[in-house]
Amino acid sequence: MRRLRRLGGLVGVGVRRVAGRVRTSPIRLSLSTVGVALAVGLMVSVAGLSLGLASESVVASEDTDYWIVPEQSNVQSLAVSTGSVKLSRVHDASARIGADSRVDYALPVLLELVPIEDAVTGERTYIFVAGVVARPDAELLGLPLDPLAKGDPHYANGSYNGTWTGEAVLNDAAATSINASTGTTLDSRRLANRSFSVVNVSAGATSTALGTVPVAVVHLSELQAVTGSATGDQADQILVHTNDRSVKASLEGLYPRTTVVTRSGLGAQQVSTSNLPLALAVSSAATAVLVGVLFVATVMGLAVSDDRASLGALAAVGLSRRSRSVVVAVETVTVALMGGVLGLLLGVFGILGINAGGQEVFGLGTVARFDPRLVALAVAVALVIGVLGAVYPVLLSRRTNPLEVLSR
Amino acid sequence: MDASTAVAAERSDSSTVVSGRDLVREYSRGSSGLFGGDSSPSVRAVDGVSIDIGAGEIVGIAGPSGSGKSTLLHLLAGLDVPTGGTVTLAGENIADYGERGRARLRLEHVGIVFQRFHLLPALSARANVALPLVELGNSKSQRRERATELLEAVGLGDRITHRPGQLSGGEQQRVAIARSLATEPDLVVADEPTGELDSETSARVLEALTSVADDRAVVLASHDEQALEVCDRRIPLRDGKRVSPRRATRADGDRPDATQADGTGATGHRSDGNRADGTHGRTD
Repeated sequence: MRRLRRLGGLVGVGVRRVAGRVRTSPIRLSLSTVGVALAVGLMVSVAGLSLGLASESVVASEDTDYWIVPEQSNVQSLAVSTGSVKLSRVHDASARIGADSRVDYALPVLLELVPIEDAVTGERTYIFVAGVVARPDAELLGLPLDPLAKGDPHYANGSYNGTWTGEAVLNDAAATSINASTGTTLDSRRLANRSFSVVNVSAGATSTALGTVPVAVVHLSELQAVTGSATGDQADQILVHTNDRSVKASLEGLYPRTTVVTRSGLGAQQVSTSNLPLALAVSSAATAVLVGVLFVATVMGLAVSDDRASLGALAAVGLSRRSRSVVVAVETVTVALMGGVLGLLLGVFGILGINAGGQEVFGLGTVARFDPRLVALAVAVALVIGVLGAVYPVLLSRRTNPLEVLSR
Repeated sequence: MDASTAVAAERSDSSTVVSGRDLVREYSRGSSGLFGGDSSPSVRAVDGVSIDIGAGEIVGIAGPSGSGKSTLLHLLAGLDVPTGGTVTLAGENIADYGERGRARLRLEHVGIVFQRFHLLPALSARANVALPLVELGNSKSQRRERATELLEAVGLGDRITHRPGQLSGGEQQRVAIARSLATEPDLVVADEPTGELDSETSARVLEALTSVADDRAVVLASHDEQALEVCDRRIPLRDGKRVSPRRATRADGDRPDATQADGTGATGHRSDGNRADGTHGRTD
C-alpha cells in the first residue's frame, strides 16, 4: 500500500512538473509534444489509408452480418483469386446454414478476375466476376440479384448438368468498359465454350481507391464450371445474414480453419489479412515510434540536463534514484501521451484531407477510413514512444550528481 | 560497528545526533596518469575535523569561501562520504551505506536547506514541502495536512498554493525550511541559508529556522555574522581544518570566543537559553 501511495505521489509530481512547464518552458514542451503529434498523426493517417485500401477490396454488403473466410485467405487474394485457399461444398454448407431458423439466408460467393473482350473493339478488359446463388431479395457488390434466375439452376444437386442460364448482371463501370448493354454476349477465352449474356445493367457501384470497379454477377455454379472450381464445389466465402448473434458459434464450427468475421470485426480482419495495407500500417507505426522516440528522447534529455538542480534537490531531500527515475519517466510518458492525443486529432484531419484531396484531384470516393480503434492505436503508440523515449532522459538523470549541482 | 565508530559512540553524549571523527574529504584534481598511475594532485577540502552535535543544539560552521564549510555539511548530512574518518548519523556509520541507503538515511533523519532554495518551480509551496513525504509513502491527505501545518509554522499559511516564482526570496527560503522539517528529522543542515537574502529578510528566515527547529540538531554553515549569531556554538574552519579562535579572528574576522582547537566540540543545548532571545550562543 505504501509503495502504491509512493508511486501515485511520484506520478503526481511528474505530471505536475509537466503542467508547470506549460508556464516555465512552453517552447520546449511544445517541441516535444508536436514532435510526437506529427509522428502519431502521420501514423493515424496512413493507418486510415490502409483501412481504406483494405475495406474497398472485400465483398461487403449492408445485408451481411457474418463472413466465413478461410484462415489462410486474404483480402487481396479474394479479389484476384490467385492460388487462394477456398471453402469446399459450399452449396451444402450454405443450405445447412440457411436452414437454421435464426438465419435469414446464407450466400456462397466465388470471386474471379476474368478478361472480357470489348464487344466493339475486341480489346480485353478485366472484370471482377462474382458467382452467387441468386436470391431476389439480396444484393451483392451493390448489384441486385433479382434479374438472375432464382437459386443456382446449373448446380443441380452437385451434378453441374442443370440448366445453363448464362445470365450476367453488370454494373455501369463494367458495361462501359466493354461496351456492353442488356442482351450483349460476353466473349472471353476464359469462359471456354460457355456463353454469358447481359440480362441487366445496374448503377450499383463498387469503388476502390483507384476508382469504380467493373463488376459482373453470375450464378455460382456457372462461374465454378468455367473457372475449374466445380470440383469440390468451391467458393471464397459465405455471407450470412442474420439478426441473432448466437449464430456465430454455429458458424465457427462449420468449417475447420476458417474465420468468422463480424461486421464490427471487419476492419481488423481486413487489415490483418491484407498484405499491403497491413505492411503500410505496420511500417507507419514503426516510423512513428522511431521518430517519436528520437524526438522525445532528445528534447526531454535536454530538459533533464537543464533541470539537474531540481533533480539534485530531489536527491538531497531523500528521493531515491529509482524514485527520481520514475519522476523523469512519468514526465516523458506524459509528454508523449499529450503528443499522442494531439496526433490523433492531426490524423483525423489527415484522413479528412486525404479523402478531400482524392475527391478533388482524382474524383475518388472515400480513400482513407477512420476506425474508432485508431484511437487506441494512437494512445498505444504514444505510450510506447513515451516508455522507449524515457530511457535516455532517465539514464541522464541517474548520472546527476546532487553535490555537483547543489554546490553551484 | 567498526572501531572508529565505537570510539565515536563512546565519546559522544547519548543525545548526540551526528558525529564526525577525523573527517577527511579529499578530491583529486584532473585525470590520473597516462598509464593509470595515481599521479593526479589532490585537494583536502576537509582535513581531520572531529565534531559532535547533540539534539536541540544549533551549531554554526564558520569560515571564508573555500574553507570547507559546505563539504563538512555535506558529510554530516550524508550527501557525501568521507575519504577518511567516520560520520555517525542516527547511530549509523554512513560509510556502511550505498547511495540508496544514504538517501533513505537522509529522508528519515536529515532535513536540508540550500542557499538557493532549490524548490521545484512547477510545484506549489505545499507540494514542495510535501515532497519528502511522497517518498515515505504517506497518503495525500497526510502530506497536505503536514505541509500546511509546517507552512503555517513558518508564517506562510496564506501562501500554500503559490509557486516558487510567485514568492519572494525570503518566502522561498522559509518554504525550504518547512520542507526540511517535513519528515521530522533529527538533524537539519543549512548551507548559507541567508546567502541570497538581504539582512531584514535574513532575520525573518533565521527566526523561522530557530523557532521551528524545536529539539532538533541544527548545523548552519555560513560566513554571515548575522546567521552565526543564532548559533549555540561555532566551529571555525580554515583550509579544511578547525582553527583556534584567535587565528580565526585574525584571518576571518570571526568573533574571538568562537572556537576551541581540540577538534571535538561538547554538546550545547538550547536550554542554555541564550539563543532564543537573540543573544550570542556559547562557544566551544
